[in-house]
Amino acid sequence: MGPGTPLTVYREVRHGMMVPLQELDRGPFRVLLVEDELFVRMDVAATLRYAGFQVIEAACADAAMEFIESGEPIDLVFTDIQTPGILDGLALAERVRAKYPLMPVLICSGNPELAGAASQWGKFVPKPYEPTGIVRLITSSMR
Amino acid sequence: MEPATVLVVERDILVRQPLAQYLRDCGYRVLEAVNATEARGAVSTGRESIDVVLMDVKGVPSEGGFALASWLRSNHPAIKVLLGGTIAKVLQLAGDLCNDGPGGGLDYRLVLDHIRRLLAGRSRRSPDAR
Repeated sequence: MGPGTPLTVYREVRHGMMVPLQELDRGPFRVLLVEDELFVRMDVAATLRYAGFQVIEAACADAAMEFIESGEPIDLVFTDIQTPGILDGLALAERVRAKYPLMPVLICSGNPELAGAASQWGKFVPKPYEPTGIVRLITSSMR
Repeated sequence: MEPATVLVVERDILVRQPLAQYLRDCGYRVLEAVNATEARGAVSTGRESIDVVLMDVKGVPSEGGFALASWLRSNHPAIKVLLGGTIAKVLQLAGDLCNDGPGGGLDYRLVLDHIRRLLAGRSRRSPDAR
């Protein structure tokens, strides 16, 4: 670390999850979760909330985009690719990146052939995944 | 003791999210469903123990809040159903829940104002919006 490098102090919130102190000071880190399968969405949302994140649940990419366009603050988008409605997860990720170029985006799918397309707009997460693994990914994206 | 679980059924993310977060801030465990199919799934599997279902009559796509409330009363009579006719009424019901909740009372009118601003912003963006 060179002179003038900002010092990031991490604090353990829960379960060994380290969150930068600066993030805690400015309010909860808000994750927009887009998943149409109810129980998958519930499980991921519960795990993220338990880890200290605030989670906005969207059952489709259209609703997620509407939330983003409302101007409500979010810090990260985690979306499935296949969602019902007009937009899919890739189109959502593209629009998010156009509006917020630095916003971290995690894009998941059970189809590994979509990894290349997803990587254009964010980090690809293969399904199935463990919700705790998503917590680690989000935590690392905050650093 | 585990906090009571509230299932919020509301199609509109700009209404559901602030409402659900308000109840979480009041200390409840909150589950979210966007339509009647999800709500029925949440209560029917037995996976989740749900104490209260809160919804707007117009906020439940396809069958509406009355039909879902009737189904809940018939099939899950132990679940308390809170049904509001307007968003303001739903927020008032949430405020009553909040007053009785583990986290103490919080002012629901601030959330209502927030939701109204969000919906007004959408109306400006899209004249066809609800």
